[in-house]
Amino acid sequence: MLLIPPTLFGVTVVSFCIMQLAPGDPMLSQLGAGGNAGQSNQTRDAYVLQKRDLKLDKPLLFNFRYFYNYTSDVQNAAFFRLMSEDQISDELVQLAADNLTPEQRDRLKFLRSLGISGFNRELRPRQLTASELRRSGLTEEQWQEQQENRRKRLAGAIRGYLQSWLEDVGIHGVPPAMALLEDKSQPLELRIGAASCLSAMVVNPFVYTYSRDATPQERELVPATWARLWHAQKDEFPPLDPDRAAALQAKLATLATDSRTEMFRRIQSSEFNRNDAPFFAEVLLGDAPLADKEVAAEFLRLYVSARVKIDVPADATAEELQQVADNWQAHYDAAKSNYFPGMAWRVWAIVGDTQYAHMIVRLATLRFGRSALKTREWVFDKILNAVIVSAPLMLMAQLVIYFTAIPLGVICANNRGNFVDRAISLLLFLLYSVPPFVAAMLFLLYFCYGDYLKLFPMERLHAPGAENMTYWHYFLDYLWHAFLPVVCLSLFSLAGMAMYSRAAMLDVLGQDYIRTAKAKGVSGPKVLFKHAFRNGLIPIITLFANILPAMLGGSVLIEYLFNIPGMGRLSFTSIEQKDFPTLMALIYIQAILVMVSILLTDLLYVFVDPRISFDGRGKSA
Amino acid sequence: MSDDLNEPRSPDDLHPPAGHESPEGLERPEGIDPADATPQATHQAEAYLDIVWKQFKKNRAAYLSLWTLAPLFLLALFAPAIASNQPLVFYDGEETIYPWIRSLFNTAQSSDFVFNLAMLAFIPWGIGALIANHLMKRRHVPGRRRLGWVSLVYLLMICLLVAIFSFQAMRPKNRYEARAFSEEEFRSNGKAHGVYVLIPLGPTEQDLDARHSPPLYRKPKDQWKEANDGYTHWFGTGDIGQDVLVQMLYGARISMSVGFVAVGLYVTIGVIVGAIAGYFGGWVDMLISRMIEIVMLFPTFFLILTLVAMIGPSIYVIMFVIGITGWPSIARLIRGEVLKQRSIDYTAAARALGASHFRVIFVHILPNAISPALVAAPFGVAGAIIVESTLSLLGFGVRPPTPSWGTLLRMGNANYAYWWLIVIPSVAIFLTVTVFNLVGSGLRDAMDPRLRV
Repeated sequence: MLLIPPTLFGVTVVSFCIMQLAPGDPMLSQLGAGGNAGQSNQTRDAYVLQKRDLKLDKPLLFNFRYFYNYTSDVQNAAFFRLMSEDQISDELVQLAADNLTPEQRDRLKFLRSLGISGFNRELRPRQLTASELRRSGLTEEQWQEQQENRRKRLAGAIRGYLQSWLEDVGIHGVPPAMALLEDKSQPLELRIGAASCLSAMVVNPFVYTYSRDATPQERELVPATWARLWHAQKDEFPPLDPDRAAALQAKLATLATDSRTEMFRRIQSSEFNRNDAPFFAEVLLGDAPLADKEVAAEFLRLYVSARVKIDVPADATAEELQQVADNWQAHYDAAKSNYFPGMAWRVWAIVGDTQYAHMIVRLATLRFGRSALKTREWVFDKILNAVIVSAPLMLMAQLVIYFTAIPLGVICANNRGNFVDRAISLLLFLLYSVPPFVAAMLFLLYFCYGDYLKLFPMERLHAPGAENMTYWHYFLDYLWHAFLPVVCLSLFSLAGMAMYSRAAMLDVLGQDYIRTAKAKGVSGPKVLFKHAFRNGLIPIITLFANILPAMLGGSVLIEYLFNIPGMGRLSFTSIEQKDFPTLMALIYIQAILVMVSILLTDLLYVFVDPRISFDGRGKSA
Repeated sequence: MSDDLNEPRSPDDLHPPAGHESPEGLERPEGIDPADATPQATHQAEAYLDIVWKQFKKNRAAYLSLWTLAPLFLLALFAPAIASNQPLVFYDGEETIYPWIRSLFNTAQSSDFVFNLAMLAFIPWGIGALIANHLMKRRHVPGRRRLGWVSLVYLLMICLLVAIFSFQAMRPKNRYEARAFSEEEFRSNGKAHGVYVLIPLGPTEQDLDARHSPPLYRKPKDQWKEANDGYTHWFGTGDIGQDVLVQMLYGARISMSVGFVAVGLYVTIGVIVGAIAGYFGGWVDMLISRMIEIVMLFPTFFLILTLVAMIGPSIYVIMFVIGITGWPSIARLIRGEVLKQRSIDYTAAARALGASHFRVIFVHILPNAISPALVAAPFGVAGAIIVESTLSLLGFGVRPPTPSWGTLLRMGNANYAYWWLIVIPSVAIFLTVTVFNLVGSGLRDAMDPRLRV
């Protein structure tokens, strides 16, 4: 039992590796376009937030980012950030040359570190000799054009990778970028690039509204944000007349007690208009209670369209840049504690703030997160819904297995060698050779399809109108639908189990104490059931523990063929649709269940068989 | 071969080197006729495997199913000789060409390529094997040893051929592959002529006019567009008019090769890992046991499905994934056996004589400890065949133009009206699995009578 922690650790490592096997970024495939820089900002922001939520921006195993100096990297990133593809490819031509200045060498190193596959090959493609060129059937110009296109493609890749790099670096890159932005001695383009980098590294630097349970930080940040914005455009609004203010004050009181959806609805209704903004601004910037401030923030967000300026176009003037730089500085000052965590956290982060560590925490606390599909369901709910469907089914199958297999085994063992034994054994052997899907498909074909027999329904566990049935009919309908799946689920294991119990019984029946009992004159059935059966079934009883994983695991194939929305079907669809959070949770849960069942088996052994004690088995368990 | 005979016999030779004992060695005796495979009553003491073979033959069902495997293999091996859309000889009005023989060297489908070479090697090898067998018999070489030699030579021959023909330069340029001979013949008004093999349809041949036609369907003469349209579809046709019989023949190749390669892979891994764990004990054993436990914790089929879905659908990926998920059970069996053998005196004696660990493990201990792995192998092949067709059925297996039993089932599952698409592959899978299970249980009874159920 001491060995459980390392095994558990191994399980997490294996599931982690499986997830890493997945081709490419599991989340980018959701976005479709390959996640290049060309997307609209909103999609990209949503993507980044989702990525950070799953901690996919962290390093895999060790996180040294808190100790790494990003100054030169950020400078290079700012250098490339606002370049067009043509500009980058011109720069690439220079970088491909042999004698480089130290600065250029630095840039080259940075580009290499982005991890673009085949970067070196693309940067300096092999020059064709004259004869090779002739053989390829291209003219010199065509060849040059091809090279140019390749370089452009590389430049595009650099832009995309740079975006990802900035997102992954996140908060670590902010201090150097801020330094660069504030450093007036640097060229203007570089500072504009730094601002652009910042907007990629920090998603939503300014908080406009409170979340459901406002954190202390938010309570400071939201008024601060609006203070900046409000002072700039106070003059656009006419002054508020006192009657209206009083009316609004009354409305505010009711708004603050409404539910959120109701509040949104009312704010958007004709009760309010844009000219009420000064009142709400006053509420937000004053010292009203939090509930009022929440309403005010939502109102301002809806009616005051201005946002804090955090990005500038590539051809911005120094003044524009200064404005943005001031905004960033404000954010930086407000959130400084995020950017300079304590030493203890930084050391802990080496192992604690990594993809792997976060995955372990998520798994250990059963917080599997949301599905990666468009529906964004909670994985836990998904699994729960599936378990509810497959657990009764599997339980029935297991009961069928135990209640048929054990009697069959006992009958065979008792009639060893005669006709009954041979017939049953042959039957069991044939059953053992029928793959479950073959049985299922043949059953479906013979019993369900077409007009021939039509004894059972083809798919699903309930008839279409099942919700309106009485309980009894509902139950019967369920049994009718579940019959074939249960039979198919049990056939294969039934055969194995029966053979197993036959062997176990034969083993016991051959022992001396049985002969002694018979010699004493104990009647046949009594020997069989009292002496032999109880001992013979010790190995079988321990198999009961397998019910647990089998019950919750479901069967991919049977559920696929019968179209039952259980665990097996869920596994299948999540593999098919590349829903990695769900897949991860499924693999993990199943492994844990098997482990628990092994543990239970051991406990059961000790419980059932007094000859076995923990001291003897502890090692091999 | 003669070198081997002249060698002085050491007691060690009673346990042949590991290479001779591949599971195939026991299961693929198709080249020798049954009488020859019988071990001669030699003057030496009977080796363990000779006893096993004798016991095995006493089990009639198992022995019979071993011989049922032979035609199954031959059908898979000789699939192009039975069904091919490339004519053996074709006269196109000007010249006579031989497309069939060239189509065998087509490497587009690499598993087929290997099988084709195996087919070409089969006949010369068969003749050679009979002669060699006869010679060895006269020198009183025991049956299993002869079997080992001929099987080994066959494998080597295939490897050599594959190596040779994998070079572009050695391969006949296959310029006939793209030609539709049958259509050409039909259009030429009797000018062109082709001689075809038994079934003039290829594995990827489509006939969109005859989709989903039931068994025994024959196209009416007025709809013929090709010379081979007059052929009866004995087992019906599939989604795009593929002939089911041909698909079954070529699908058998996929099933067999997945079964054997995957099981060969995991038995090899399992035996080596298990032997190392059992022999060295200590922290090595501890580490390997943990690994075994961890892999066994994952539900096998789900794991296979996930891995195949992530790496990509291909017959090689399926083989590899079954291989890497199946080894723990074998390793556990072997580890237990080796632990048992290690404590017997002969191991200590071998060490005392100065044998290296490697030699002790693989030459002295393993031959005595390998029987559980050999018993598990036929069951494993059955299991791998099931897994492969299941994957194809779910759509994660081989891709549709490649014929496979599971792909046929998938077509059948889409619409149960096409019952032949379900019944025929189902029966084939069932029979194959039964045969392998019978062989496995026969082997188990023969190897260890105590295990007899």
